[in-house]
Order: sequence, then structure tokens, then C-alpha cells
Amino acid sequence: MQHTISFTHNNKQASVKIPTGALLSDAAHLAGIDIGQPCGGQGRCGRCAVQVMEGTVRRRSTLRLSPEDVEQGYALACQTVVEGDVAIYVPPQEKIERRLTTDRVVAEVTVPEEYEYLQDQTVRRIHLELTPPSMDDQTDDWARLQTAFRLQHRFENVTCSLNLLQKMGKILREGDWNVTAVVDVKNVIESYETDRPIRLLDLQPGMVDEYSPLWGTAIDIGTTTVTLWLVDMVNGQVKAQVAEYNGQIARGEDVISRIIYASKNGGGQDLRQRVLDSINSLLETACKRVNAKAENVVKATISGNSTMMHLLLGIPAENIRLSPFITAVNHPPILTARDIGLNTNPEASVDCLPGVASYVGADITAGVLSSGVNVMDEVTLFLDVGTNGETVLGNRDWLVTCACSAGPAFEGAGVVNGMRATQGAIEEVWINSDTLEPTYRVIGGGKPKGICGSGLIALLSEAFLTGILDKAGNVNLMAGSSRVREGAHGGEYVVAWGVESESGEDIVLSRVDVDNLLRAKAAIYAGFTVLAETVGISLEGVSKVLVGGSFGKYINVEKAVQIGLLPDMDWSRFEFLGNTSVKGAYYALLDWRKREQVTEIAKRMTYIELSADNSFYEAFTSALFLPHTDLSKFPSVVEALTSKVEDQTSE
Amino acid sequence: MALSGIQIYKMLPQTNCKECGFPTCLAFAMKLAAKQVELGTCPYVSEESKKQLAESAAPPIRLITLKANGTELKVGNEVVMFRHEKTFYNKPGLFLRVKASDPDLAKKIAAANAYKVSYVGMEFTLDGFAIEADGDLTAAVKTVRSATRHPLILIANDAALLDSSLSLLAGEGTLIYAADSSNYEALAEVAKKHKAALVVKADSLDDLADLTQKVQTKGMEEIVLDLGGKNLGEWLMRSTQARRLALKNFKPLGYPTIFFAAQNGPAKEAVYAAQAIAKYAGFVVLDTFAPEMIYPLLVLRENIYTDPQKPIQVQPGVYEINSPKPESPVLVTTNFSITYFAVANEVEGSGLPAWLVVTDAEGMSVLTAWAAGKFDAERIAKAIKGFNVADKVSRKRIVLPGHVAVLSGEVEEELPGWEVRVGPREAVDLPAFMKQALN
Amino acid sequence: MIASAGLDMADERRLLDSPCNDIDETPEEHMPIEIPKDKWPGNIRSITIGATSAEGGTRAKAVTVGGGTTMPYLQFEAPTTNKPVIAIEIKSRKPDDWSPLLAEVWGEAMNDPAQWAKKAQEAGADLIVLALTVEDSVEDAVKVVKSVLSATGLPLIVWGPGQMEKDNELLVPISEAAKGEKLVLGICEDKNYRTIVATAMANGHLVQARAPMDVNLSKQLNILISDMGMPKDRILMDPTTGALGYGIEYGYSVMERLRLAALQGDAMTQFPMIVTPGFEAWKTKESKVGEGVPEAWGDWITRAIHWETITALSLVESGADIIVLRHPESVNRIKEAVEELITA
Repeated sequence: MQHTISFTHNNKQASVKIPTGALLSDAAHLAGIDIGQPCGGQGRCGRCAVQVMEGTVRRRSTLRLSPEDVEQGYALACQTVVEGDVAIYVPPQEKIERRLTTDRVVAEVTVPEEYEYLQDQTVRRIHLELTPPSMDDQTDDWARLQTAFRLQHRFENVTCSLNLLQKMGKILREGDWNVTAVVDVKNVIESYETDRPIRLLDLQPGMVDEYSPLWGTAIDIGTTTVTLWLVDMVNGQVKAQVAEYNGQIARGEDVISRIIYASKNGGGQDLRQRVLDSINSLLETACKRVNAKAENVVKATISGNSTMMHLLLGIPAENIRLSPFITAVNHPPILTARDIGLNTNPEASVDCLPGVASYVGADITAGVLSSGVNVMDEVTLFLDVGTNGETVLGNRDWLVTCACSAGPAFEGAGVVNGMRATQGAIEEVWINSDTLEPTYRVIGGGKPKGICGSGLIALLSEAFLTGILDKAGNVNLMAGSSRVREGAHGGEYVVAWGVESESGEDIVLSRVDVDNLLRAKAAIYAGFTVLAETVGISLEGVSKVLVGGSFGKYINVEKAVQIGLLPDMDWSRFEFLGNTSVKGAYYALLDWRKREQVTEIAKRMTYIELSADNSFYEAFTSALFLPHTDLSKFPSVVEALTSKVEDQTSE
Repeated sequence: MALSGIQIYKMLPQTNCKECGFPTCLAFAMKLAAKQVELGTCPYVSEESKKQLAESAAPPIRLITLKANGTELKVGNEVVMFRHEKTFYNKPGLFLRVKASDPDLAKKIAAANAYKVSYVGMEFTLDGFAIEADGDLTAAVKTVRSATRHPLILIANDAALLDSSLSLLAGEGTLIYAADSSNYEALAEVAKKHKAALVVKADSLDDLADLTQKVQTKGMEEIVLDLGGKNLGEWLMRSTQARRLALKNFKPLGYPTIFFAAQNGPAKEAVYAAQAIAKYAGFVVLDTFAPEMIYPLLVLRENIYTDPQKPIQVQPGVYEINSPKPESPVLVTTNFSITYFAVANEVEGSGLPAWLVVTDAEGMSVLTAWAAGKFDAERIAKAIKGFNVADKVSRKRIVLPGHVAVLSGEVEEELPGWEVRVGPREAVDLPAFMKQALN
Repeated sequence: MIASAGLDMADERRLLDSPCNDIDETPEEHMPIEIPKDKWPGNIRSITIGATSAEGGTRAKAVTVGGGTTMPYLQFEAPTTNKPVIAIEIKSRKPDDWSPLLAEVWGEAMNDPAQWAKKAQEAGADLIVLALTVEDSVEDAVKVVKSVLSATGLPLIVWGPGQMEKDNELLVPISEAAKGEKLVLGICEDKNYRTIVATAMANGHLVQARAPMDVNLSKQLNILISDMGMPKDRILMDPTTGALGYGIEYGYSVMERLRLAALQGDAMTQFPMIVTPGFEAWKTKESKVGEGVPEAWGDWITRAIHWETITALSLVESGADIIVLRHPESVNRIKEAVEELITA
């Protein structure tokens, strides 16, 4: 029996006749409508969702669709059988991609609702009107300024650098004794005592508009990536976000290599300069983007792991790696940009956030602050998927943390065709199970340059599910596609041929990449499972899993579960927070109470040393498999694997 | 029931005062849970918490200490069925049984007492002697005591005889064998009087549990169990059952056990003793003094009672793979067993001969050891020199793991005259590297 | 946690309120103790090696191992299903690196694998392990396998020389030549399993899967082999044996853990275990060497046999199903011990 299927697509109509039992996807094909089927029509990817407007169909599978979707008539074209006349709406592809229940977009950054510049910010811009000097009043410039501070703002104890003293006379006169001062009032607002010292950061002639931007910056120094946000501290808004690989990478990929390099002759200075160059160049880029001047940035809040912090400050880091693993400083005092070498205003207050231990630094305390684990009622797991996989477990009553070396693979480093999640990165991949042909999506939509973290996760998962990789990550050269071939480092899979790529070279996933990714995911998985075990908490008892990291702004949770990076649990329990370290630094930059919370977090977080016994090694080895040696921990993956087998046998 | 760190934490003041020497109360709680610190270290813990925590800390199998003038043996305090669950803590005592009637008693004891054997740098001896009262026990005790400083077990059932013999061993912790339902009252009295431990024996676990409770009511807590059992299978069963019950806090069987290895003849002695060592015995009594049997048993005991939580290590040294010749390459790795296996297996599987130098990296893998400063140029050079590798080879060339390529310059400095090559990062690439790069 | 698997809360309470609390009221008639018994959801697979003529082979008798439903030899929980069996290891050529004590006991037979196999059978072997050497050509290897098969009716385990390429080169033709005999082919390791598994599958044989003393690695290899389509009743698990004094404790605990995992229902650990105490013990200085060793080591031959026997017994206690030995006296002692363990 023939049925009429009418399609609406891109505001156009088309209709075809097709017999009972045919698939909607076949009907669409017949009608000349291209519905994307990256997975090869197996109901895996959900990219072929259409909306049934009229008529009845039979859905073989609604995997990837939420109950609400089905309620609204959505159906997967490749899994839906025609049983009568129907009218179908084919939505634009972009819309579909946001419908997938497995997709998680990293939370947007918003200014904290309660942010009040005049109460929360420690850096203030104040206007001073000085009485001009005269023959009767021959008070010196500095005393005159101090008097204005005392009389107009009750600041009894203002201090000033030599540099500002040198420029002071000129500025005062240029503004005709009308000046705008930028001061750090931290001491006063924390203690409510007006005679505590207040540092003068900047002095400008005349009256600067109250609402014009007052620049601050939040910086996260990752082992692999440095991230910088430029913030207008008056309204709290993040005006520019920039990131680049840490220039120290050239001297070693992991913290240990860097520490050893730093301990060699001149190595410390070299590393310090390299990271400063990275930060200063990011600062310049960010400032340029919003037409600001770097010398107008008056406050910087920095987070980063303990090693990065030591290297930035030029403090010997050697003892971090040697038992019993002692840092020189977990909580540096407030410094100035001049001390450190930042190209901001040299007087800018630089606040390096406090860490806990050698391998749990300010990146984690800042991450806890921004993820809010420390105020949760329920037990929450926070994972920072970075070069050092750090994990925090706890709630408002207790916090435990551990760190393990995961490597930079999820940041796209140490992978043959890896890259950061920027323009040109492949951020998503589907592989057709039958043809082993990939479909990918590139950030910015142009030609691919490489693969970023989320793309690598998807690629690993797809290669595994389609049998290109066995569970140990070995490339199956008998898979039957020219894309699976023997490469320079053993077997490899070609994601994009040279003709498609920006560079003209093939973009591949090699056996070595697979090993790096496996190790990274195994270390992270082992870290949080052992941590939970150590304190006697089962993963089922964890109410939420908050994931921080720089793999991209978008991630497919299902894929992350399929490779065994994340535990197999209800997808709704995962939240992706992006770079939690820089976000924490941003909150601390804005609000001195938040900043105090970071100190409090550092104080009460308990660090667990994973290498104390064999349990980490055990957990690591068992996670060094796809998805895991213990398949019973990953029931949804078992299901995906078995359904694949059934599909094959039914053909 | 053991409490978890979080459970203990809830009973602590939660002030993170650091006075206990740990950074947070939770860190302290976890050390408590692992029994690595005393609760008393916390100055602010409440009396009520103290009480609750003390209960959870009581060991399910009582610690029995035997003492002599100068030596001490602790047995018991075990907490698991299988060593991998935690570890087996106190090695069973290995005792030699002698007869009071033996005319060569003094000589026999002297020989056995002098027995010493070393195994990977440790020195082992027997732990003591069991004297059977088939002759003049007091005379035998004097003879034995003058020939050895190890603790004793006295095998007799006459309370008066034991009383006079134990008087000769004042200040010691001796073990009496054995009380049964007919004599336990008298023996418990003697044991108490002389601060001795007492073996309690019965034909079934039911009867044994009954009897230990009776002994307990006499105020006697230093108890050791003889489980009986006529052969290997029966003893394995009883030993397993007793351990299980004890670990479930069944107090009447919460004691170490004693086992006589030669009960079915000397031919089976070694096998019987081996099973007893592996399967929970607290004291193993041998009848034969034969170094060729005692040495393997002492090694087995050491192996089974090794803490499995410690990283698995192989002995540092030079390993010969596929019968290397002087011109074969010298490969270097650490003594973490998995690392060693990975390298050794790859090379072995390739059929290529090589000298594999395993350095003492305290059981860490290459990267971990390097990170912790346990696998550096100095240590590598020390191993090459210490193991006299230069004497074995005609070509002074060593291959470093690719992960520590950064060390090559320093190794060259430390080892003048040696050619230093950087191998692949992964063991799997070694055969190809050896074929292509090492010619 | 593991030990309480068979106990429910009520049991737990009864034990805690044990008779010691009311001893004064009932001093004479005590309650019998409730012995805690583990009831496991899983068991070890029963696996048969060797095929008789009725089953398409030429063996006099097939050997079935595994089937365990409890931790080893806990007869109070369940009688032992299949007792562990002993294999004696022989080589395709007279080995020049074996201890003289072994050369003495096997004598001339070492020059002829068929004779050697016969003597091994007389010594009480339930199975023969034939270890090939790198010197063997394909023709030699096939010939020696055939001659051993015709010399005894015992099921046969064939080990390649232990070098990836050579193993594959020899084992494939052997597998084809002995099709239907239900040999065990070994040794599969994670880097080299595909060829051996494929030929074993095609010719109805079993495989021996060896992982280096690690529960996870054992399991992973079993998964990889099963994923190739190998039926689960044709895999033997080799956890890698360490000799007494040379790492026995690692293998011991790995075996206990594999057995526990199997009993808890983990299908990928439910394979019978084959261990090689003969090979390992006779590699040690304690067994191999008679001169220039410490006096405290005692008599050489007795010590050497103790070394092999104690190594083997420990592995029997931790769950071994097939024990590969070298010295006939050790075979006797382990057989005796096994009889005692299963007749408690």
C-alpha cells in the first residue's frame, strides 16, 4: 500500500509516495531532501530528527529524544516507519543539534546577580578635589593629596609608590587639582578600620566618568593553556575572553618536566619569562579587542596549579616533586604587577589565589568556589579535566580532593592532530557504522585544522563503537576502509583527508593518540573512583557531577561516558562548567567575600595522596580499557554495543 | 565494624585546629580509619566519641604475645580473610617440637637455635621451641632455656607439673598446650598465675567455642585455639570457619590458632606447614629440624605476609633476556614489577637478546620514579656501576626509556665512556627500536 | 565485604548476640555455632580438554577442569566439582638449561618427546604440556606433536617457544594438523593473541591466556579473546606464576581475587586457571643449583622438590585448576595433597 508523505523543509514543500513499512529517511531521500545521517542510519546520533505534523508513524527507537520531543511529534527519520499518509516538518540542522539529550553546552558566564561594585570590590575609583596651593599654603603635593583623601573619604593612611610620586605633580596640575585616584581599599573594607593602609594604584587628571570601565583581569595559568578574562569591575562584566597554549610547553608538557627544567641553570628564569610572555600577549589581545589600554588594568587575580604559581613568581619549585612534596608557598601575599612583570598598570594589585598542596593548587580552590561544591547540601563531585586531573568530592560539611597526572590530551595537546577548541577545530564526529565514513563539525564552520578535546572524545567513542578500535584501543587494520591504515605510529584512522583540511595534510587519530587519550581518561576516572572509595562514598550517592575543563564549549555526555571518562549515570546529573579555574578567579576578582571564601576552602579541603597504596594503580589499570574492564559499571555502553550487534545480524 | 573516615570525622570536633599534626580533621579521621594514628592525638575529642571509636577499633582476633628473655613474638590482630583486602599482619610463629625424654635434647636445641638463613637481605630464624613432657619437664625446660633465648611452648596436661616448670620461666610469656574440657579449670589457673597463654582444644568448633567461653569466665583471655582436623582439607575448613567467625566478631573464636604440621607423618610435614602458613595459623609446630624444609617455609611465610598494598617490586639487578652476549644492548628500566614485565615481555617475545638493568626506584614506574627523583642520572649510573655491567658487555652502550630522554646528557656525564641512547617511550616499540636503531 | 556475602543482617545480629553473653544461664547446653557460608551467584566454568574418538579426536580420555562454586576446597559449602589436575612439562628437544636433578630423573627419555610423554604419564600426569623451542622448524614441530599424541592418550597442551612470530609460525600448522583433538594452544598474551585464537577457533582447540599477574589485565585479555568470538568454554586463564621467594605472593593474591570475582558473577574471570610452578620453581637458584649455595639451604634435592611442591601447593590453595610440574616426586606430593583437600 502506498502512502503520501509531504515534507516541509527550508520553507519548501515536497511530497512523495512510498509503501507501508518504508523509513521516513528513505521517503526524504526520494523527495530529494538531505537529512543528515552521520551515524549511518542506526539511531545512534539523533541528527535526523524530524517533526511529524499529521498522520501516524511507528517509531522503532526514540533513543536521543526526550519524552517532550516525542510529545511534540519528533521522530528519528532513520528509525521511523511509515504506516499512513503523513506530513513531516524537517527542521534546520542547527536546531536539531540543540535538541539532543546528550548535548551539554558549557554554562555561560554571567555577572553574579548580587554584584555591587561599591560594596564588593576592593579596588575603587574615587574623585578628589584638592585645594590648589598658594603662597599661604605651601603644603607639598603628596601631603595635599593625603589630606584630600582624609577629608573627602576618611582614608587616613594612603601609601604610594615611588613611580607615582614621580608623576604626581604633573597629574595634579594637569587636572587643575581635580584628580581621579584608583585605590586598593581591601585592608579597610575587611577590617572596617579607616586607618589601615590603603594603596594608591593610579592617579589620573580630572574627573573620570564614574561609569567608565575600571579594568581588572582574571587569569588561569594552566599547565597547557593560559586563559585570561578582561573584566570591567564597575559593572562586573567580562568584556573579553582569550586563551592560548602556555609558552612553557616548549620546555616540557607536564609539571614535573617544568620543575626539573626550572631547577637547571637559568631554567626558572626562562619558564618565568615564557609564561609572562603568554600572559602579556593575551592581555594585549584582550585589551585590543575592547579598545582598552593594558596600563589601565589595575587589578589581577590569578589562579593556577601550585607549580605554575611558583614558576610565575620565580620561586624554586623543586620540593613540589620530591617527597614529602612541600610547596614553598600555598598562599602568596598580595603583590604588584611590577613585582611580577605583568604589563598592566605596574601598581596593579596582583592576587595569587591560595592552594592546598603541591598537587592541589589555586586552580582547584578557585574551581570549588565557582562550581559551588563547598555550599552544596548533597555530596557533589567536581572534576577538573586538565593536564592534572583534579577531583573534589564533598559538600558544605567536608571536602576531599586528589590529583593525578592525566596529561594534556583533552586540551588537544600531545595528540598528533590535536588543537585547542578554537576556529577550525573538529568539535564533533560521527562515524557511519557501515562505511566507516565520518561526519564532523568544525568550530567556525570552515576547513578543519585539527581536533579539540570534545572532538577527540567523540572520535574515540565512535571509533570504538564502530569496531575501528578494540576495547584495548588497538586499531583493527582489517576493519575494511581505506581510512583505517598503518601509520607512522602504528594503526591510525583518517578523520579528514588532505583535500578537506586547512593544511592539506590528512587529519588522523593515531594509535599513540588513542593511548594518550586512554591514559588521560583512565587517570581521571581512577582518580575520582578511588577518592570516593577512600572516604566511603559510592558514586550512586553523588547527586551531581560538575565537570570543568577546556575541551570545548560543547560536549556530548554520552560519548564521554562511552569512553569511560565519566561514570555511567543519568545524564541529567552532569553539568559542564568550562574553565572553572578562571571563573573562580573572576568571582574572587570581583568580590572580596568570595575571595575570603577561597581562603576558607583552601583551609578546610583535605588532600588525599593517591599514590599511598595500590588502589589508584588498580583503578587506573582497570580503567585503561574501553569503556572499562568492569563492563557492569557501564550498562548503557553495553546496551549500545549489543544493539550494534543486533543491527548487524538483522541485516 | 570498621568505620569509614567520614563516619569518624563526624565524631571529631571539625575545627581543623591542626594540633594533631594533620591539616584537617578529615585527614586525621582517615588516618584513624586506617589505624595509622592514635585517637589520643586529638586533644579535643569528646569522651563519648572516644568510647564509640574505641569499640570500632578493637581487633577481632586477639593479639597474643609470647616472650622470653630478649625475644618476643606477636601473633593475632588479623583483620581479613584474604591478604589483598588489607594485609596479614603478624607472621605465624614457627616452632620446633622436642621431647623432654630426648637424650640429645641439648644438642638438638643448640643446632636448631643456631639456625639462621638470609633471604633478600633479611635474616630468618625459628621462633621458638615446644617441649613435650614425656620425660622430666622441669629438667628439660632448664636444658632448653640454657640453650636458647626464644619463647617456649610447654606440652603437658598436669597443672602441678606446669606450675613448677613455669616457675623456672618467670617473667616470660610462655604458651601452655593444651586445655580440654577435663582440665581447663586447673590449667587456666596456672596460666593466669604465670601470665602464660593457654591453648584450648576440642574436637569441634562448637565444643571449642564452648570451652573458650568457660576459660574466659575464669578470667583468662590469653587464649590460642587448637582446631583439630584430621587432614589438610578438614583443617582448611575449620581454619576458614574460625577466621570467618572471628572476623564477624564472634568472640569465643577470636584468637590465633596453633597447628602441628607433622601430625600425619614427616613425609607430609612440609605441605601441611605450608598450608597452615597460608591459611591463617598463628603457630606452626614442626617435628623435623631440616634446613631444606625450614628455609622454604620461612620464605613462604615472608611472602604471604608481605604487605600487598606496597607497590609490587622486582629485585634490582641485571636480567638476562634471550641469553645475551657481550655485544647485546643494555636496556635500563625501574623495578616496578609491571614496568619490568612490560619491558621484559616485549624483548623476550621478540627473541632479541639484551641485558636488562633494573634500578632501585622504590617500586615506581619510570615516569613516577623520575618525577619523584628516584630515577635520575645518578641512580642509573650507580646501578650500571654497582651491577658491574661493564664487565659483561663488549660495547658500552645503554638505552634509556624514552620518557626520560631529558636525562641522557647527565647520564653521559655520570658514565664516562658509555654511549647513551634514548629508546622508545613505550615498551611495545622496543623490538622495532632494537632492530632498527641498535646496530 | 566479600566474606559477608552469604550472611544477611539477621545472621550478623545472631553472631553479635553470641552465646558469650548468656553463658551463665546455659553453661552446659550451648547453642551450635552458625557457620557462615558464602553463597555465590557465579561459578567457574567447567572446561574440557582433549577429545576422544567419539568426540572427534584420538585421546583415551578427556579431562574436565573448573566448575568450582566456592573458594577452593571449602567442602562445607559445596563439594569440589572437578579436582585440580597435574600436567607434566616436556620439551620438543632435550633442554640444556634444566637442572641436572631433572635430567637425572627423566634420563634418556628427554631425548625423545614421545618417550618422555609416556614416562610422564607413568609418573601420574593427567595432561602433557609440550613446550616447543625456537630451533624447531614447522615440520619438526608438527611431527613432534603427532608423535606425542600417539605416544599417550592424555590430552595435550602445546606452548610455542614464547616469541611472537615463532609462536604464530609453529602453532598455526600444529593447530591444523591436530584439528579436533581439543589441544590447548599457548601462550596468548595481550600483544599476541589474534593469530593463536583464530587458529584455535577454526580447529576446535582451546587457548591459554596469560596476563602478567594483574586481575585487570587478565580480565582484559579474556574480553579481547571473547570479543573475537572464541567460545567461553575454550579459554584457560594463566595468571602468571611467581615461584616461592620470587613473587609467589602476587600471583597468589591475583588468583584469589580472580576466583572471588568469578564467584561474584563476573563472566570474564570464570575461566579455570593454569599455573606453571614447575617452570618457575626450577628456574630459581634454590632448585637449580647444588653447589656454592649457603649451608642453611640444606640438602639440594629435597630442597628443590620442596620448592616446587610448596610453590604448587600455595597455588592449589589459591584456586589453580591445572598445575604444570616438572619433577615426578612433586607430582606425587601434590596429588596426595589434593586428595586430602577434596575428601575432608
